[in-house]
Amino acid sequence: METVFSQYAWAIPTIPLLAFLVLTALGRQIKGAASLLGLLSSLAALVLSVLVLTERWSPDAEVYSHSIDWVNLGEVTLRVGYELTNLNVLMLIVVTIVSTLVNLYAKGYMEGDDRQHVFFAYIALFTSSMLGLVVSPNLLQLYMFWELVGACSFLLIGFWYDRPAARAAAKKAFIVTRIGDVGLLIAILLLFWQMPDHSLDFSVIQTVFQSGDSLAQHGITAGIATWIASLIFIGAMGKSGQFPLHTWLPDAMEGPTPISALIHAATMVAAGVYLVARTFSIFHVSPTAMAIVAGIGGFTAIFAATIGLAQRDIKRILAYSTVSQLGYMMMALGLGAVTAGVFHLFTHAFFKALLFLGAGSVIHAVHTQDIFQMGGLGRKMKVTTWTFAIGAMALSGIPPFSGFWSKDAILAAAWEQDHKLLFVIGVLAAFFTAFYMARLFFVAFTGKPADDQIYQQAHESPSSMTIPLVVLAVLALIAGFVYTPFNGQFGIWLTGEPAEDHANVLVMIISVAAGVCGVLLGYVLYRPGQSQRVDKLEQAAAPLFRVLERKYYIDELYNWLIVRPLRVIGKGLDIIDRYVVDGLVRFISAFVDGWGRTSTRVQNGQLQTYGIVSLFGFVALVLLMLALGRGFW
Amino acid sequence: MVGQISSIPWLSLLTFSPLLGVLILLLIPKERVFAIRTIGIVTTFISLIIAVVIYAGYDASKQGNTLLEKFDWISIPLNLDVAKGIQSWTLDIPYHLALDGLSLPLVVMTTIVAAMSALASVSIRKRQKTYFILLLLLEVGMLGVFMARDLFLFFAFFEWTLVPTFFLIGIWGLANRERAANHFLLYNGLGSALMFVAFAILVATAGFDQITDTSGAVKFVYSGDLYTIVNHLQSSGAAANLGHSPFFLSEGWRMGTFVLLLIAFGIKLPLFPFHTWMLKVHAEAPTPVVMLHSGVLLKMGAYGLIQFGMVLLPQQLADWATVLAVLGIINILYGAILAFVQTEFRLVLAYSSISHMGFVLFGIAAMNEIGLQGAVMQMVSHGFISALFFLLVGSLSERTGTTRLDELGGLAKRIPFISALLLIAGLASLGLPGLSGFPAELFSLLGLYGNLPWAATIGAFGVILSAVYVLRGVLAITFGPIAAHHQQLKDARLVEAVPAIVLTACIVLIGLFPSLVTAPVEYGVSHIIDMFKVGG
Amino acid sequence: MSTMLASFLTLAAILFCIGLYGVLTKRSAVIVLLSIELMLNAVNLNLVAFSKYGVVPSLKGQVFSLFNIAIAAAEAAVGVAILIALYRNRGTANVDEYDDLRR
Repeated sequence: METVFSQYAWAIPTIPLLAFLVLTALGRQIKGAASLLGLLSSLAALVLSVLVLTERWSPDAEVYSHSIDWVNLGEVTLRVGYELTNLNVLMLIVVTIVSTLVNLYAKGYMEGDDRQHVFFAYIALFTSSMLGLVVSPNLLQLYMFWELVGACSFLLIGFWYDRPAARAAAKKAFIVTRIGDVGLLIAILLLFWQMPDHSLDFSVIQTVFQSGDSLAQHGITAGIATWIASLIFIGAMGKSGQFPLHTWLPDAMEGPTPISALIHAATMVAAGVYLVARTFSIFHVSPTAMAIVAGIGGFTAIFAATIGLAQRDIKRILAYSTVSQLGYMMMALGLGAVTAGVFHLFTHAFFKALLFLGAGSVIHAVHTQDIFQMGGLGRKMKVTTWTFAIGAMALSGIPPFSGFWSKDAILAAAWEQDHKLLFVIGVLAAFFTAFYMARLFFVAFTGKPADDQIYQQAHESPSSMTIPLVVLAVLALIAGFVYTPFNGQFGIWLTGEPAEDHANVLVMIISVAAGVCGVLLGYVLYRPGQSQRVDKLEQAAAPLFRVLERKYYIDELYNWLIVRPLRVIGKGLDIIDRYVVDGLVRFISAFVDGWGRTSTRVQNGQLQTYGIVSLFGFVALVLLMLALGRGFW
Repeated sequence: MVGQISSIPWLSLLTFSPLLGVLILLLIPKERVFAIRTIGIVTTFISLIIAVVIYAGYDASKQGNTLLEKFDWISIPLNLDVAKGIQSWTLDIPYHLALDGLSLPLVVMTTIVAAMSALASVSIRKRQKTYFILLLLLEVGMLGVFMARDLFLFFAFFEWTLVPTFFLIGIWGLANRERAANHFLLYNGLGSALMFVAFAILVATAGFDQITDTSGAVKFVYSGDLYTIVNHLQSSGAAANLGHSPFFLSEGWRMGTFVLLLIAFGIKLPLFPFHTWMLKVHAEAPTPVVMLHSGVLLKMGAYGLIQFGMVLLPQQLADWATVLAVLGIINILYGAILAFVQTEFRLVLAYSSISHMGFVLFGIAAMNEIGLQGAVMQMVSHGFISALFFLLVGSLSERTGTTRLDELGGLAKRIPFISALLLIAGLASLGLPGLSGFPAELFSLLGLYGNLPWAATIGAFGVILSAVYVLRGVLAITFGPIAAHHQQLKDARLVEAVPAIVLTACIVLIGLFPSLVTAPVEYGVSHIIDMFKVGG
Repeated sequence: MSTMLASFLTLAAILFCIGLYGVLTKRSAVIVLLSIELMLNAVNLNLVAFSKYGVVPSLKGQVFSLFNIAIAAAEAAVGVAILIALYRNRGTANVDEYDDLRR
């Protein structure tokens, strides 16, 4: 196959990088055009990505790879470059589509902010880093961009830096993901010394970890493979907000909403899933690691979904939903269903970005994030409401929306593999998801306005914000048809493996039932026409609700177990440093001082004393020479 | 060691170029402050240009492309055993400078930081003439340290740096300057004393050489020439076989010497528990001096450990690799945890230097090329980063009168330029890819993992802690609500902005293209690594 | 011959020691100056003795001792002059109170 565009794939991350540089250098001058520049750069990347995709329609399209030397270290050469596989071209498409739409949306959302050039510069840098991450041909380059997207996320969460909450959230996001990153870093160190020729290329990893034989041939034991896989997964956990490293993601909602849509819903947080999928061959050889991934993923899915039940902040509900859905994807990967996991990543990117942008549109209109202060917005914000409804239904797994197909694929995988526990967890999580989305939708968009003043100022957002909503709604509607039980080509295209036969009618029925029950329950409890000030769920089970509302007290737990002890240790060491270690310095300086003081006393200015001292010295020298038995010269 | 002797004495030219400025400054009356500043700054730039010319001419592809300058300097006759018919027996101190791949990046870094520090010295408000003379003298000493290849000459330059630094801290520092200068001098003097003992042992045992000149007369020479000593130590006992050497450096003596060197350079590095002197210097010295101190002077310890400890006593270093790695871990974690609880930003940075120097120890303990590259990279990178940090800290305290974290906040609003660079310095310091801290830490860890995986794994947690303390410090200053009395602050002037931008550019360049450093270093360290390979 | 030398040298040594004792212990500056003269003369005695009974006898030693006497005279003159100046300045000739080296 001709690869005309593939050889220019390096430009995909480079174009937004250039936009970033221009915006940084000239941002203040071009102010208004900043959003346009950001939009154009994303659009260019999107167009190029689509062109690359057209060259890769065939499932057996060859991996296109190109690298140059980055640095030489003795016998080792570290390389950078880009690589195109079907998996990462899919990611390119997702990232560039969402990025383009978010750029367009942000033009309306950030209107009037006097630092919007900075905002668009950060977005361009993020887009560039994310695309660079996706096309990385080796683990080290991926790690570099991995850190960079983390830094961009940090900058954007802290975009409104004068808010203490934003400062705390940004710091937390960086540090918690850093914990995961260290896992990935150690995995890289381990791989570097285990792999033939210190190679960290994905293609080499794939060859080496292909089978037990090739592993044994390179002297890698099963135990080491498990370690590597687990460490990589720790990295993925940090980025993708898996329990117990999930705490940063809900707090990250302090950032501007377009950012939540782009980074904390569609792209960066999915990087963990992408990483596991990209290095899946390592996981594949280790059943232990697979069990860990599936277990953590499943637990996170249900854990975050229950927290989502009790939140009042519209963005936090969506954030916990993101954590939960990422858990779903991890669970799929842990079950070995790479296609299902990546497919859910694909659909989730669209409908979750849609939901966040919809939430942004609402916040833009009413300036509050508490859903119990909204109410009845459906009448004033038609486009937002309808698109939000589509997103909510996709997330809840109602057919024929995209979320249904991908969630069904994951549940089917659990069923096929006879993983009863994970299947039940998946169904329960789906039920909770549908319930909290229904709660959110009915409370915020239907019924009587909770607060007249807020209701009065509500208005539909400008077209630059509604167009992305509509586009994403369409995508949320149709994206699922890529991979239905009746059409398995996607699986062959993506992973080269034949489509699993996941047309399981029973699973489908259970899945739909879970979704519909959730929505119905939500309707019953929060249906229009009731007073919207009171949370029915809270009335029903107050103690349990409190635990959920406080997120199982995980933050408090970390504070008591990690942050405070660290501070106490630090203070203790500080005292030791000041009085014990520094004592050494003080002792030496006191010693020299004392010595000096003593010797001044000897210097009394009396010439005769000096003379006597010299005399005795001379005599002593003479005696010494005599005693040694040597001559005087 | 293959070297080439150029017709132009580039190295002496570079080392002593600041003296030219000193001479001119001596002739200028002290009231003409502008002229004094200009000459001081221009002189440092001349050195910078010479260094860059040398760097550009350095062909990394040719192994052993080392600039070399050597001639006899001091020769002290020793009246040993004249009676036995030996005509000449002397202690020689040759003037021996060389610039190999290991020194080159450090020399270039030194000249850049010195030039930026001279620019930042515009903020000095009293006795500018003396100040600039001392600053230039300090530069001579620093450059000499990185190029001297004779033990005595190295020692002389090492000591040379103490004197100007002492006065620079003691006269132009903050409130407790005299105490800080005093501690600085005493403690470093102690380190130098230990270093001198170690050097004396080495010279007395391995520095012995027998030279037959053209007329056939045999000369017996003790000298501190590095390469002579290396050869003799390597071909262990060769000197003893000559039959004239009174000593032979036994394993026990070698170990003792190594420990002396480790402590001597460890004090400078600084190594836990010898680090507290440096906190006072960081807290009290004037900004440009801290830039030089933290940026360059601390690196002399690490450099000495590699160029003398590692080269002279490789076997001992190999035996002690675990100890070095443990010391590295202690430095990394101890520094990081203490940086986390400080409320004075200067002290946060001081402890972060301790933490970062742990990675240098890691790179040395790795005993392979990647690790050593990482160590040198970390030295260069940290030189730039801490120079940038302290430059900005100086600008901050000039504006706000404080660098206490609890008194600052939200400055990004009023002084966005300084705040942005502070953030970049912070991100570089915590090892963000694309900035110089990342390749440095990565290479150190990669290298150490090949030798001592458990140590590298523990050390990697320092990466988390560095994020914790850097963000705590930097965000406390730049983010959050701004205090009312800071509303009127003005952003950086041109003279502050230029050095800040130059340093940032260096950090970014090295971060993106680490081969700028690694390529020359590769040939500087390959012979060191070969020693380990031969030694097993 | 050697016995002659020995007795001269012994006398000179005794003289020198007395002089040294005086220099180091006497409180009066005048006595200190006198003691210095004593030490110089001990040296002169040595020189003369060696010039007569030494390994290679020659007149050089006697010439040297003449030099010494002249210089001792000059030294005494200068020393006493300084002493008088000091006395006028300080009002004392007590060596204990001359501790300018300390200041």
